[in-house]
Amino acid sequence: MTATTANRRRWDPIVRITHWSVAIAVLANAVITEEGSGPHIWVGYALAAILALRLLWGLVGPPEARFSAFWPSPRKALGHLREIRAGKRTAHASHNPLGALMVYAIWGTLLTIIATGIAMAGPPPWDGAERGEGRHVAVAPGHAGERGEDGGEREDGEEGEEGEEGPLGEIHETAANLLYLLILLHLAGVIFETRRNGRQVLVAMAPIGR
Amino acid sequence: MTDRARTRERKAAGISILVALQALACAFFLADLVGDVLVDGFGLHLAVEAMAALALLVAVVLGALRVRGLIADARRDAAAVAVAQGALAELIRLRFAEWQLTAAEADVALFALKGCDIAEIARLRGSAAGTVRAQLARVYAKAGIDSQSGLIALFLEELIGLPAA
Repeated sequence: MTATTANRRRWDPIVRITHWSVAIAVLANAVITEEGSGPHIWVGYALAAILALRLLWGLVGPPEARFSAFWPSPRKALGHLREIRAGKRTAHASHNPLGALMVYAIWGTLLTIIATGIAMAGPPPWDGAERGEGRHVAVAPGHAGERGEDGGEREDGEEGEEGEEGPLGEIHETAANLLYLLILLHLAGVIFETRRNGRQVLVAMAPIGR
Repeated sequence: MTDRARTRERKAAGISILVALQALACAFFLADLVGDVLVDGFGLHLAVEAMAALALLVAVVLGALRVRGLIADARRDAAAVAVAQGALAELIRLRFAEWQLTAAEADVALFALKGCDIAEIARLRGSAAGTVRAQLARVYAKAGIDSQSGLIALFLEELIGLPAA
């Protein structure tokens, strides 16, 4: 009996690997790599591959990792909120209903970031060559003025490079900022659940250890 | 958690890492392929590259399915062990009650079932070896057997006879 419950309590390796890989990739592209640079695009493609693996896992993985186990449902999310307010605790085999909404929000944002990123960077080689392409897109008439202004307003310290990429760049950056907000909310949710239900939430996603 | 379960979990984790790396490589190959096709057009060389990339994609899917199989096996295994443990514990309780063992005798008999010899049982229970030997003799007499292996065989035989769950 203990073995069964112990198995249930942890996410499977694919879920854990993809979760932490995505976290590392987002952190790398947010903090380390230069926006629009070769490494930035490489990391972005890697993130796309890992996210694709997780989405595949949502189709073929074990029951609790599948989309069917945590279909987004506002009704259930509201029910979950009521339970929190009432101080009740229900065990969830998969993500809890609020967490499920967060999962889809983050995935949707990541997909937006990936799609706009690929649309801007195109296929490799990306070292230097993609700059030319980027410029090419940027020169396209119609958006030059507003782009320049927006870029100047938002990115003071940067070269304003991403501001030159047009609406795609705008979406890319807005989605990235939205992603940071969602990650903060996700962390807040994890902290909240940890205080409410104990360390189990952390153990379930811990990259290593028993 | 048993060693076997841990081994299996490690195996699943190892294959998962491999699958993730394959997914990464596959994405790079596919992106590279698209880039080359845009620059050079589609040729024999790129056709071979495309096949390699597709094969890798298939490997990713198959790897994921393999991990799924390992996880499912591990869970079935854990469930089967749990059921068997429950059934065996219940069977032992029933037989001990049937043989009307005293609490001390039941305790000694359980250690005997787990494979402990008289010296070990005496040490575990903090009693003299002679006492344990006498208690075991009474257990064997009540159960109608004459040795420790006979005691173990009584339960094993019944478990083997159980239909596969």
